Amino acid sequence: MPNTVDTNKTTQPVYGGKNKLIGKNYQTNDLLAKVTGRSKYAEDYRAEGMLFCKLLSSPVPHARVKHLDLSAALAMPGVKGILTADDLPAPADSLTDNGTRIPANKLGERGLTNEPLYQGEPILAVAAVDEYTAAEAIEKIKIDFEHLPFVIDPLDTLRPGGPNPRVGGNVWFRPPLTPPKPGERPGPPAPIEVHELKWTEEDFAEVKQGRLPTGKILEDPGNSWSYGKVDDAFKNAALVLDETFVTPDTSHQCMETRSAMAYWQNGKVYVHTGTQSTAQTVPAIARWLGLLKPDGQPDTDKVVLVSEYTGGGFGSKITGAISLIIPALLAKKCNAPVMMRLTREEEHFIGRGRPSMTGRMKVGFSKEGRITALDMFVLVNTGPYDAVGDAPSSGRIVSLLYQPQNMRFRGLTVMTNTPPRSAQSSPGGMQGITLMEPILAKAGRKLGIDQVAIRRLNCPEGKAQFGPVARGRRAYATSAFIKEALDRGAEQFNWNQRIARNPKRIGSKVRGVGVSVSCYVGGSTGFDGLLVIKPDGRICFQSGIGNLGTESVIDVHRAGAEVLGVPWEKCDVCWGTNAKNLPWTCVSGGSQTTHAMTRAAHAVAMETKKRLQEIAAKSLGGSPENYEVANERVFRKGGGAGMTLAQAAQKAIQMGGIYDGHEANPDVNRFTKASVQALAGQGLVASARDKYPHDGQTHSFVATFAEVEVDVETGKYHIVDFLAYADVGSVLHPRALGGQILGRSTLGIGHAIGQKWVMDPAYGAMLSKRFHHSKPPTILDVPVNMQWAALDIPDPETPVGSRGIGEPPVGGGCAAILNAISDAVGDEVFRRAPVYADTILTSLEAGRPMQHPLMAHI
Amino acid sequence: MGLVQWATSPWGQDVPIHIAWGLIYVAAVAGLLFLIVHAIYVRYFAKAEEYQGGGASPQIAASVPERVARHSLAARLFHWIMAAAMLALLITAFLPRVGVQFPWVTYHWIAGAVLTVSIIYHIIHASFWLDFWSIWPDKADVDDASRRIKRFMGQDAPPPRRFAKYPLENKLYHGVIVLTGLAVIVTGVFMMFRVRTVFFPRNPYLFGDMTWGLMYVLHGLAGVGLIALVMVHIYFAVRPEKFVLTKSMVFGSLPKEYYLEHHDPERWAVEASSGSSKGAKASA
Amino acid sequence: MAVMRDVMPAFDLLQPTSVADAQKLLEQHGRDAWVMAGGLDSFDWLKDRIKKPKVVVDLSGIDELRGVRSSSDGGVEIGAMTTLTEVVNNPIIKQKFGLLSQGAELAASPQIRNQGTIGGNVSQDARCHYYRAGWPCYRAGGNICYADTPTGRNREHAILDADRCVAVNPSDSAPALIALDAKFVLRTPKGERVVDAEDYFIGPDIDIMRLNILRPGDLLTAIRIPSTFAGAQFYFEKVRDRNVWDFALMNVASAMVLSGGNIDRVRIAVNGAAARPLRLKAVEDAVRGKPRNASTGESGGKLAVEGAVPLQFNAYKIPLMRNLVKRAIAGVEVATWA
Repeated sequence: MPNTVDTNKTTQPVYGGKNKLIGKNYQTNDLLAKVTGRSKYAEDYRAEGMLFCKLLSSPVPHARVKHLDLSAALAMPGVKGILTADDLPAPADSLTDNGTRIPANKLGERGLTNEPLYQGEPILAVAAVDEYTAAEAIEKIKIDFEHLPFVIDPLDTLRPGGPNPRVGGNVWFRPPLTPPKPGERPGPPAPIEVHELKWTEEDFAEVKQGRLPTGKILEDPGNSWSYGKVDDAFKNAALVLDETFVTPDTSHQCMETRSAMAYWQNGKVYVHTGTQSTAQTVPAIARWLGLLKPDGQPDTDKVVLVSEYTGGGFGSKITGAISLIIPALLAKKCNAPVMMRLTREEEHFIGRGRPSMTGRMKVGFSKEGRITALDMFVLVNTGPYDAVGDAPSSGRIVSLLYQPQNMRFRGLTVMTNTPPRSAQSSPGGMQGITLMEPILAKAGRKLGIDQVAIRRLNCPEGKAQFGPVARGRRAYATSAFIKEALDRGAEQFNWNQRIARNPKRIGSKVRGVGVSVSCYVGGSTGFDGLLVIKPDGRICFQSGIGNLGTESVIDVHRAGAEVLGVPWEKCDVCWGTNAKNLPWTCVSGGSQTTHAMTRAAHAVAMETKKRLQEIAAKSLGGSPENYEVANERVFRKGGGAGMTLAQAAQKAIQMGGIYDGHEANPDVNRFTKASVQALAGQGLVASARDKYPHDGQTHSFVATFAEVEVDVETGKYHIVDFLAYADVGSVLHPRALGGQILGRSTLGIGHAIGQKWVMDPAYGAMLSKRFHHSKPPTILDVPVNMQWAALDIPDPETPVGSRGIGEPPVGGGCAAILNAISDAVGDEVFRRAPVYADTILTSLEAGRPMQHPLMAHI
Repeated sequence: MGLVQWATSPWGQDVPIHIAWGLIYVAAVAGLLFLIVHAIYVRYFAKAEEYQGGGASPQIAASVPERVARHSLAARLFHWIMAAAMLALLITAFLPRVGVQFPWVTYHWIAGAVLTVSIIYHIIHASFWLDFWSIWPDKADVDDASRRIKRFMGQDAPPPRRFAKYPLENKLYHGVIVLTGLAVIVTGVFMMFRVRTVFFPRNPYLFGDMTWGLMYVLHGLAGVGLIALVMVHIYFAVRPEKFVLTKSMVFGSLPKEYYLEHHDPERWAVEASSGSSKGAKASA
Repeated sequence: MAVMRDVMPAFDLLQPTSVADAQKLLEQHGRDAWVMAGGLDSFDWLKDRIKKPKVVVDLSGIDELRGVRSSSDGGVEIGAMTTLTEVVNNPIIKQKFGLLSQGAELAASPQIRNQGTIGGNVSQDARCHYYRAGWPCYRAGGNICYADTPTGRNREHAILDADRCVAVNPSDSAPALIALDAKFVLRTPKGERVVDAEDYFIGPDIDIMRLNILRPGDLLTAIRIPSTFAGAQFYFEKVRDRNVWDFALMNVASAMVLSGGNIDRVRIAVNGAAARPLRLKAVEDAVRGKPRNASTGESGGKLAVEGAVPLQFNAYKIPLMRNLVKRAIAGVEVATWA
């Protein structure tokens, strides 16, 4: 029996079949710059007369600034200006495409504040000639606070009489829409409010047994739903498990902190920063800075964003970060460029984190192992600002991934005085899977069913339905081939040989194997593609995708080149600033990009083909259908007259109108239209919107396998082997895909083996402010020979067949490790993640099952 | 040099944490200066003590036993236990601060506990079994003090009367010791919540940062005050003219002559007896 | 006044090239001076503006403090400024005193070992997250231990010999040096002083503000390992959360010479249990003369944790220490999987 994965079996299969580009490896356009250090990130830029700013952050978890004395700081030579919350523009409402006004959350995060709601929240910023001077100036500022009640543990604020994190309460509440009168359009939603929600003493009686109380929640469609007959199903279940599990809060830990540099020229703001979407950060910056058109839409002409390279996002920089307005407004105030470099400690405070989720899962199984009933109750700690969507998302993902026959979901998101959370790779999905998987593992052992088999029995197949009935039907996945992934993965991992290992223990070392299924949203639709065929015949794909390390900024355009039959060497990708005229693009969050933007690339390639045929027909006679595009030419089918792409581009310029961008495709977004206009006359300028049919909801799936070895005398364990087998539709770029599968699996593994927040409840203070405190996994914490593979079965609801992969592996990375540990040492050893040596040793040797099972931030 | 050491609390506030340790030297020097000045004064400038009137009448004098009981055994035991505890506390508190390092905390809190118990005993004992008021200055003490000051300044005033059981300086010293002693004891008992003792579960968060800080400062100020006070006390205890009083704290009684010369039987009555000190009306 | 972290304030950087010059500078600047070896501990304090020395005396230019030299008695002398990487790779240390190579190699990460020195590793300050955050705890001169409060987070803290402060010593090389009976050579204003490794470290009961006996003006110049345990049987184990770049939750080091299956000479030290690396003398005495087997190991392990007092979150350290000491005596079975 092999100790490690059989390398003969792990030779990567050939992906992409007969494709020339899709499914093939290549050297990405940004690779050399990245590996040689030539790539410039936000903080690498310099501008003439540039100042540096530093932040004064709150030392207290909740207070009001009573008195601020800036005189000594301002009197220092070299100090050029101070920005406080009083200098910020009022939060601007946003408008939907159909003109509905979404009122701004006046209680939302604004970048600086006079009422800090967590330790580390920025209160003001000082601009000076250098950081040293700015820091000295901050130490000279006198600041008095009126201390206010605070709370860091979500359960503590729910206790009767428990402290509220905000004046007025601990939960967000949006008053329901008043139904419109017949014939009228519905009015705008009411502004969101802070309400107080407390549970009863009776609810809390269960906490003593380590169980999460299922107290009152706020009823809304995302957080409270059910289907089937849950209670009846429990009555008939062969096995019912009722388990509470806690997942950790984890910082996003982007290598690049959210640094930003900004300056103003001729009324335009130039911003250098990292982002997960070049295109969508532009209107966000305009709105944050109050740069609005008379109709209330953000004035994107006033913003130039430069973001060629981003050092990671993971959901924390979806449209950059609101903190970028600090250097932007300081630059205006001081009339000089301002650079804000955030330190790692500041990043731990304002750089976002995944919310912890405490779940109470009551699960009924048939004797065959099928999940017949699931009652899922989750509590999410969102920090002091806007509620994250993790709770609703966890319910949907669990419903899809485990296909419970009857299910009730209840979710509650509460506020605390802890750093603000945001989406983090597989938000809600990762936590939901981590709550569910140990229960499935335990059920398998109790019912005597193999772990792969019980997952195979419950996992979705094809266009699997999930969630509640909404508008008359249940949502369904576009496709799911997770069963195939489980089968092929089990074979590659030698699952059967590993579980038959005998003995499982040698000396103090015990081996355990675990498997987990995992999935997340894998794509969106409706975005734009934009390209230019230049008069020299080269094709330039305009890319509005953020370059955050996944390579989708380049990869997706290979789908366009494949359709056009143009060799990649003749293609360029234009990315990194809206000054280069970019199309309206999805944000690279929710693993949307590969799916959404290969569709857009496909659409614009088809549009280009069509225009090339028209140009050929108009120039050479005949009808467009008589022409075909291949080998960098458009030519009459069956041979005869034709022209090169270069000639076609020259022709397009002569023809003008729709051909050279003087007219834009009427389907595209106004942001794309502006770009088309700016590119007009440069060649054949084609734009198109993805209008391909799409009815289901796109998800990608991963089957994850792991083996661990636990030393029961020290509690220390290590991961022996790991395999993630992915169902992501057609493989677009194998090397990038492998990087994502293993990288995001490692992100998940971090949640299992060590990453967390440690906070002191007496002072509401973060103790894990540095990498060696918060402990993201290192390369030595994962096996050397980590394996991945993909099915390469195209998704039926998208023309290229590819789905996204960023998020789906995360839950599996975490849960497969947890399941392997419990296989080695038993089910009752841990009830929270991460599982450290001390967790195992305390349970096994000190005889205490779990210390403070529900306590937050330990 | 400030009197107090400040620190920045976890919430960024300035909070006191200790006295400035330099005050140890200030207190020691102050105590030393006092005794040098006093010794010089007594040696070269002090006049012989002069009292109003001729002293006790012969009948009363005759009824006074040879040894006048001054401190009961219980009172003496208390005094010496308290003294030992106090010295232990001062040594364990301040020697490490001046560079003599040893594990002092356990000894310190044990001595503190002994001191606390002995003081509680003393308060109860003095309140219910002894003449409680004998140690507190009365109107006569104030009058006499004013007479002494006037005479010292060369003004015309009658000589002071003889003392009751305790001379005024004794009473004043006791008063100061009560204040400083209670300050260190009360703060010290709370401070035991911050270290591991056998008494109660630790709870360093019993008070806020500022309250705790002030408590440490008060403990420290009273502590360094005690350095000076204890120096002065020991100094008087070994002065030749006071040594008879020191011996009375060991053996319990004063010789009759000393009693008649310095004390007023009207203000400190002792019972006539056949010469046994046991017969004297015990008071301490 | 507002608190600022993570921006290094200005100081004068002094770079002497001889120990004598360094001593002169330290004498000249007294308490205003900060001694810097590899900088890995120093820079944390400096850039967080918690320690604000006026001058930093950087020892990296003093060649006489670098390198490993064989001594005439068959031992070695290691200059205090020798990097951990050099210690790990030194062939003599590897061959004769492999215990130190093992301990040093498990410290931190390769990058840190390239820069960090053996002197710095043994002399580094406590890593308690409260103390390092600049909170005014006992160790910082204040009057409280934030870790040992009813709600304090103290998973990494002490189970033995705590006195108000519950921080632990973070060094990985220190227990190895104690087990090897190393001597630390100090240059003080009064002259050279040589102390036993275990006497270099002090607990909070003696001085709550220092982890070692260095006073202002003192320099640790070298570490001498005598030949006593050259080529003996060694055991080193470090338990930490991550496999690299992590401080020990606990580590153990033992050096042992057997005679006919019985333990003839033995030294055992544990770090991460108390504010100083503990030499387990009672355990050594108890196992000396006994056969090296599981039962001796177990009794030694039990003896080692006598008197241990767990805090709220570190009860696991008691079985951990018991088991590590057991292994340091009896060894551990290597699992070879089919």
